[in-house]
Amino acid sequence: MPSYKLTYFNGRGRAEVSRLIFAVAGEKFEDVRYEMDQWPAHKAEMPLGQIPVLEVDGVKLPQSAAIARFLAKQFHLAGKDNFEQAKVDAVVDTIDDSFKGFVPTRFEKDEAKKEELTKKYFGEELPKHLQNLETLGKLYGNGGHFFVGNQLTWADLLFYTFAQAWIGVEADCLNNFSWLKKNRAEVEKQPKIAEYLKNRPQTQF
Amino acid sequence: MSSGDLKFYYFDLQARGELTRLILAAAGRSYEDIRFGFDKWPEYKPKMILGQAPVLELADGTQLPQSLTIARYVAREAGLAGSDNLESAKIDAVVDTQKDVNETYFSKVFPEKDETKKAEELKKFLDETVTKHVENLGKLKKAYSKDEKYFVGDKLSWADLFVFQSIQALLQAVPEVKGKFGEQFKPLMDAINGNENIKKYLDARPQTAF
Repeated sequence: MPSYKLTYFNGRGRAEVSRLIFAVAGEKFEDVRYEMDQWPAHKAEMPLGQIPVLEVDGVKLPQSAAIARFLAKQFHLAGKDNFEQAKVDAVVDTIDDSFKGFVPTRFEKDEAKKEELTKKYFGEELPKHLQNLETLGKLYGNGGHFFVGNQLTWADLLFYTFAQAWIGVEADCLNNFSWLKKNRAEVEKQPKIAEYLKNRPQTQF
Repeated sequence: MSSGDLKFYYFDLQARGELTRLILAAAGRSYEDIRFGFDKWPEYKPKMILGQAPVLELADGTQLPQSLTIARYVAREAGLAGSDNLESAKIDAVVDTQKDVNETYFSKVFPEKDETKKAEELKKFLDETVTKHVENLGKLKKAYSKDEKYFVGDKLSWADLFVFQSIQALLQAVPEVKGKFGEQFKPLMDAINGNENIKKYLDARPQTAF
């Protein structure tokens, strides 16, 4: 029976998809969370000086997508065969592309520039990626509400958590994307996820 | 296995297509290597699933976008993606680490048009990013390799091919990077250059700008 330890900041960020996977699978894990001022003391313990890191049976894995894909495969949330797993990966990569432009808008210190960047991101960049995600969901989803093969996979969980960050800044950002809205609604009502969302720590990010 | 059952669409460049071509070569897998110039792209774009390339198309017409997804899929089919879930994950971790560095180069250095600013970004990339990256690759190799040569376990994986391709591409674009990798990757580069299937492919592949 493997033991799992997930280390990250005390926030959702790039670890939340993995926490959601554990929740859906009903699997126990050690949920290590560092506040910003605690992190420097632990940085050297991590393979690349970054978090999240998953420790499983003494092996340390960095890189949030590698971690999530590993856990998804362990708990049958990755797609039922190699080709389905590839469709899931394609959705994940497209979600990742969507999120890339968001990060600089959050870290920009100049208020005027931040507003400009944010407006451009939500007005021009994000809609293109959301359109691509709907295209993939409709092509790979077998007519259902999940991204791939009519069942929940980690692609749905990743979209759920990253979209929460977008909605936190721009509440209407999914208004023109009814398929994606339905997808998130479907994820939220899964019993284990509803339970997890009710009880998880409320954090800034 | 006829080449009709797999089609790979990409520009006549290495860039984001070459990793998949290398994996398919290592696997000895035949496929249709569809290459086009920028002038032909408007014809192909509407046929591609997200209007982007590369795309992998299976015999039944289903398409996969996203270069690393395609590479991982063909690697898994070819047994070049680890022998169990944990090995696959270690391989993914190495791939993502290399990807982060490639993306830094392509977002900070490559697009910079101002010559002075470009030189600045390049110096920063070489002195900081590449130095840290070589250190990180060394740490991952130490943790995951069983034989001092391949990144994970003791056999060739697509992580090795990605690092190999990325180093080669970087050397072509930025010859100054040559000394930065030291000797630690030489056994790997030699093994890949000496692999019969790969050597055959490398000798025959078209020369492209990047």
